[in-house]
Amino acid sequence: MSAVHVTRSQGRRDRRRGDIDRRWLISLVVILVAELAFFNASISDFWSAGGGASGWLGSLTFTYTSIIALGVMFVIFTGDIDLSVGAMASFSGIVMAEFHLAGMNIWLAVVLALLICVAIGLLQGLIITFFKLESLLVTLAGQFILGASSVAYEGATPPYGFPHGFVTTLGTGTVVGIPNQVVIFAVLAIASVLIVHRTRFGRQLVLVGHNRDAAGYAGVRVSLTRVRAFMLSALFAGIAGIIIGATYNAVRDDLGTPLLLPAITAVVLGGVDIFGGRGRVLGVIIATFILGLLTIGLLDDGVGDNATSMATGVLLLGALTVKGAMDRRVGLPPFADRLRGRFASTTTPGVPNTP
Amino acid sequence: MIRVGSLVEGEATPAAPAGRRHRRAAPLRLVRRRETLLVALTLAVFFITTALQSSFGSTGDIAYLLESAMPLAVLAVGQTMVCLVRGIDVSVAGILGVAAISTGFLAQDHGTSYVVLLPMALAIGAGLGTVNGLFVTFARIPPIVTTLGTLAIYDGIELSVAGSRTVVSVPHSYTVLGLGTLVTGVPYLLIVGVVILIVAALFLWRTKLGRALYAVGNNSEAAFRAGIRVNAVLVTAYALTGLISGLAGLVYLVYFGSVDQTTGVEQSYNLLSIACVLIGGTTLTGGKGGVVGPFLAAIFITVASEAVLVAGVNPDWQPAGVGVLLLLAIMFDRRQSGRYSLRELLLARHPRVPLSPPSEVTQ
Repeated sequence: MSAVHVTRSQGRRDRRRGDIDRRWLISLVVILVAELAFFNASISDFWSAGGGASGWLGSLTFTYTSIIALGVMFVIFTGDIDLSVGAMASFSGIVMAEFHLAGMNIWLAVVLALLICVAIGLLQGLIITFFKLESLLVTLAGQFILGASSVAYEGATPPYGFPHGFVTTLGTGTVVGIPNQVVIFAVLAIASVLIVHRTRFGRQLVLVGHNRDAAGYAGVRVSLTRVRAFMLSALFAGIAGIIIGATYNAVRDDLGTPLLLPAITAVVLGGVDIFGGRGRVLGVIIATFILGLLTIGLLDDGVGDNATSMATGVLLLGALTVKGAMDRRVGLPPFADRLRGRFASTTTPGVPNTP
Repeated sequence: MIRVGSLVEGEATPAAPAGRRHRRAAPLRLVRRRETLLVALTLAVFFITTALQSSFGSTGDIAYLLESAMPLAVLAVGQTMVCLVRGIDVSVAGILGVAAISTGFLAQDHGTSYVVLLPMALAIGAGLGTVNGLFVTFARIPPIVTTLGTLAIYDGIELSVAGSRTVVSVPHSYTVLGLGTLVTGVPYLLIVGVVILIVAALFLWRTKLGRALYAVGNNSEAAFRAGIRVNAVLVTAYALTGLISGLAGLVYLVYFGSVDQTTGVEQSYNLLSIACVLIGGTTLTGGKGGVVGPFLAAIFITVASEAVLVAGVNPDWQPAGVGVLLLLAIMFDRRQSGRYSLRELLLARHPRVPLSPPSEVTQ
């Protein structure tokens, strides 16, 4: 956690905030355990459901959503938001597939697709920081443009059928019983924890979200940090898109787009402040498991898509209502005040301009 | 501080930064309005396409074009209400879907009359919108997160109502409103849309509550100290957005005559409505803009995508066009752009706006 010790009371408030973050993390673990216990009791074969040979780990079919969530998390830490990640995932898969269809080696196609994604993330970040536009709007436009490009590029028949080696390595294969996808997710998750909590860039990322002005005065290159966050977000979305392609052995324009909302839900449920500057990567990782297992479990339970979708929404709103109440009990400025501060054109007396 | 000028002069006054504001002659101000620009662009696109493809411009086509924009245009009017109070609502497509499918089944299976369907669509919309408003105002969850959550819930409701069925054969007595014309060339639905627009515009211009939306969006602290019940206004804004979205659901049903379980989200109405609001010159930072711009923007988007279609461009690119338009609209608008707009950059009349002091840079 970054703590800007301006005054003693500010410092105390930051420590209390740290307490809340710890308590939130414990709550998430409790929710996860309760959820697993419930499904364990209600579904007889929950631990092997859908897993086949690889056992219960094989049922973790939501890893690509989790990877997208990790990517958006970097952007949300800086106080921005990236709505283009879902479309970015579709786009990367389609670019990869079309390059491969054109006769390129599949692995070279993967690398090129990821590079293109990072370049698009760079472009979005530059537009946002140079013109000082709301990231919400620019990435909204980015989502439209990427989505349309995907549809137009894939043509009438979306590409399918990739080399066996590619499909097993990134999609269906396992290493000592653990699905490769879970391994890839674990590697990216550990990398994210290290980047955010153990590197200089990570601390700057959180500081920029915590207080952009203070970060600037402290010599942090604010725009550069924000642009880097957008590049990371694009990269993670690109990786997710390629894993989706390998899993289904096909790419389509509508495979990635619906993942945007679950990914943002996971980040926010994981305790990352939507206004940036606060949160733990571990919380996001646990939250992706809570949401992913909830979907799988409810579907196994015979509950339809509709109830699953509603459960996700109720969980998100309920969790945030509780978290807001926890924040207010220790005197943190509530969301509405910080929202006011975020958009305020002048400093209003009595309302802290920056959280 | 409330900019009294922008409150009195009416909506969408080009709000130049204080100190650099000099009043221009009335005709010039009219020319510089976003609404005028949109009408001009729409006409230009229309006439150019007609010149190239003579079948495009016949009377029936104009009517058809304007009418086909109505579901989106009404939805954009709804989205404007929350944008005026610094909010955003990404659940409008869900509300539209729930309203459309509920009324659709009643019309298809029971032949329920408009007298029942209209209040029902309004009630569904207002109810769901109020839920959004209560979470945003009292649980103090940021609007985008709240409405992402409620979108999931409303989608679930839409799926549950639909089950495995779809609304495919709405009786002719309903769709006649969508297809029929009052006098030659003026479809009923176009009149309905324009009436909704006028009512919403009068509400914002002429009623106390409408002005309160601008005041709260401009500076909620000042609005509170001026005696406005900020929380009540916020909830009302979300309820109004819901109400109009429900109405848009009925318009959708009447126009298309068919609804299924993914209606609304499938057409990416959430993002399109936000794009219309921004292209129409209303800001996401609250307190500026109005409903006329978003309404015209919806018509412009529809006409432009139809023209592009006639020109033989792959229709798949249509969302990309909307995206580029959205980017251009916010990059050219000094009110959206924090540092300098593309217009200033290109025309170089005010090449460098002096950097504001740090407290004003905060986003």
